[in-house]
Amino acid sequence: MRLGILSFAHLHAEGYQAILKTLPGVELVGFSHEDEGEGRRFADQYGLRRFAQPQDLLAEGLDGAIVCSENARHLELVELAAKARCQILCEKPIASNLKDAQAMKAVCEQNGVHFMTAFPMRFAPSTQSIRAAIGGGQLGQIYGVNGINHSEIPKAHRAWFADKELAGGGAVMDHVVHLADLLRWYFGEVSEVYAEVDNLFYPGEGVDTAGLLLIRLENGVQASIDCSWSRPTWYPRWGHLKMEVVGERGTAVMDSFAQYLNLYSRQAARAHSWVGFGPNPDRAMLGEWLASICEKRPPSVGWNDGYQALRVALAAYASASTHAVVSLERFS
Amino acid sequence: MRVGIVGSGVMGEVHAAGWRQTEADLVGCWSANLEQAQALVDEYGMRVYHSYSELLENSDLIDICVPTFLHKEMVLQAAAAGKHVVCEKPIALSVEDGLEMIEACQQAGVRLFVAMVVRFFPQYRLSRELIAKGQIGTLGVMRLKRVAYVPRLELSDNWYLDERRSGGMLVDLMIHDFDYARWLGGEVERVFARLNKATDGPGQYAQAVLRFKDGPMALIEGGWAYPPGVFRTALDLSGTDGLIEWSSDEHAPVRSFTLSKEGSSSAVGLPTSGLSDDPYALELAHAYHAILHDQPFEVTAKDGLEALRIALAARESIATGKPVTL
Repeated sequence: MRLGILSFAHLHAEGYQAILKTLPGVELVGFSHEDEGEGRRFADQYGLRRFAQPQDLLAEGLDGAIVCSENARHLELVELAAKARCQILCEKPIASNLKDAQAMKAVCEQNGVHFMTAFPMRFAPSTQSIRAAIGGGQLGQIYGVNGINHSEIPKAHRAWFADKELAGGGAVMDHVVHLADLLRWYFGEVSEVYAEVDNLFYPGEGVDTAGLLLIRLENGVQASIDCSWSRPTWYPRWGHLKMEVVGERGTAVMDSFAQYLNLYSRQAARAHSWVGFGPNPDRAMLGEWLASICEKRPPSVGWNDGYQALRVALAAYASASTHAVVSLERFS
Repeated sequence: MRVGIVGSGVMGEVHAAGWRQTEADLVGCWSANLEQAQALVDEYGMRVYHSYSELLENSDLIDICVPTFLHKEMVLQAAAAGKHVVCEKPIALSVEDGLEMIEACQQAGVRLFVAMVVRFFPQYRLSRELIAKGQIGTLGVMRLKRVAYVPRLELSDNWYLDERRSGGMLVDLMIHDFDYARWLGGEVERVFARLNKATDGPGQYAQAVLRFKDGPMALIEGGWAYPPGVFRTALDLSGTDGLIEWSSDEHAPVRSFTLSKEGSSSAVGLPTSGLSDDPYALELAHAYHAILHDQPFEVTAKDGLEALRIALAARESIATGKPVTL
């Protein structure tokens, strides 16, 4: 199977290429990246063939392409890949606005290709076991969920994350979709969103860095999402993904990346770091994508999942600017 | 000073134990539950009084540990008798009642201390000191958790569960974190909250988002939702230059793993500090010394009133489904 990565702008591209190289039957043809200096560096660092333009890479004839550009450029790359009849795995959030997201759906349908949204947390054993506990009734009727997706400001890794034009927003755009997707997966659609959003951590930045959402799902469950870039850059790790599901018969506390060693090293980038030894959900996610290509079927996480999660993030911005509860019906 | 306790329930006992660690002269207790009062005075070496007026006559300071709906009447009587007052939180069931109590004490020239005990828990105190020293820069997002089990009906006469008597979970339990958040973040601009109730029984779980006039925001989680005996608290305070994390899940100086007796949890969950200084004794000692030496309280009755105002706004938000501006 011949695969390519369209843009290395998103740092997940680095993780994906490392996993793809280990998979039998996969040929990673190369990646496209327009910035020559950056592109050369990635090509040298990872021993990959670089294509200056996405069209050049797609001309090689690929079975699938991973879109890892800045959020605002997803549409243009999805269009190129779909027209080249490539199956698509697209980074989250799938777009920075609903119009772009809808255009992606249209172009994929017109060209008969499947679109998978990169929601790796669906492939983590921790989130799956929480889903099983909820579905199996072990927690009883659910009161609510306390969701946390904290991180450091990702700017040190890639500057565009804090660029409103390219990212479409800051912490809310970056993080809300992961927990929104898990909540949808567990309970069904979101009905209402209330949010406080602001830049409270990096006064010089032009995007939001703090966000608290209080949402309601159609089944009546309430949930909070803290998407803030509130971990300092000297925190032992990038951040974490946590969830507490409080039910009438029990509570489940999830910390997806709790399997780590405490490392205190003179050599490491951080004096104290949490080095994970748990399963890498990206690997299982890529496995599902590749299986869906082989089996010529839609992937388990589709365009609609990315789209619905994006609606929640956009509703959070709307709520924060009006200080009002926003009904999701307004965002379609 | 001679201290008299009104009430012999969970807080009456906790306060009696606390007073015993101070230099106060703990004289006695008056309670509607005579049997319970007798057990309490036997345990803490004081005597039972058979009327409130008798207790007032023999005390210089009255410690009010009765259900919230009785606070106002008790405080007004104590003020009229010229006695200083320590009153359990929440100060009252309404802002108007709280104001009336504060004014009555002022006019009578007696001190009124509202026992906002979380301010005396060492991890909460230390966090505030670190923030005041600028260790985490400007405060951005606060996360506070206080989720307990459902108060046990058979041991507490159910008054905690009766909103007309306790104010409900937000006013009785979450008020601690509303107060703490305000202590760190200043005045609140806006409150939005949601609460889900159990399909059966008094269980409930709430989440509140607070926005402060100076910029910070807070997520406050509270509930009577866990299995019996489970009570979890946590704080996560992030700023422009750092972060403070603490959770009751983390390891304590001593942990024991024992077979527990069926139904051995107390009537209502109380967090423990695991340290030698009991926060309840600390708050009572503080109140005692401040009254004795005519010094200001570290947490004023006005603070207690403002915390109530936030809790009531959160309750209103739950009822209306809309954010409430203060």
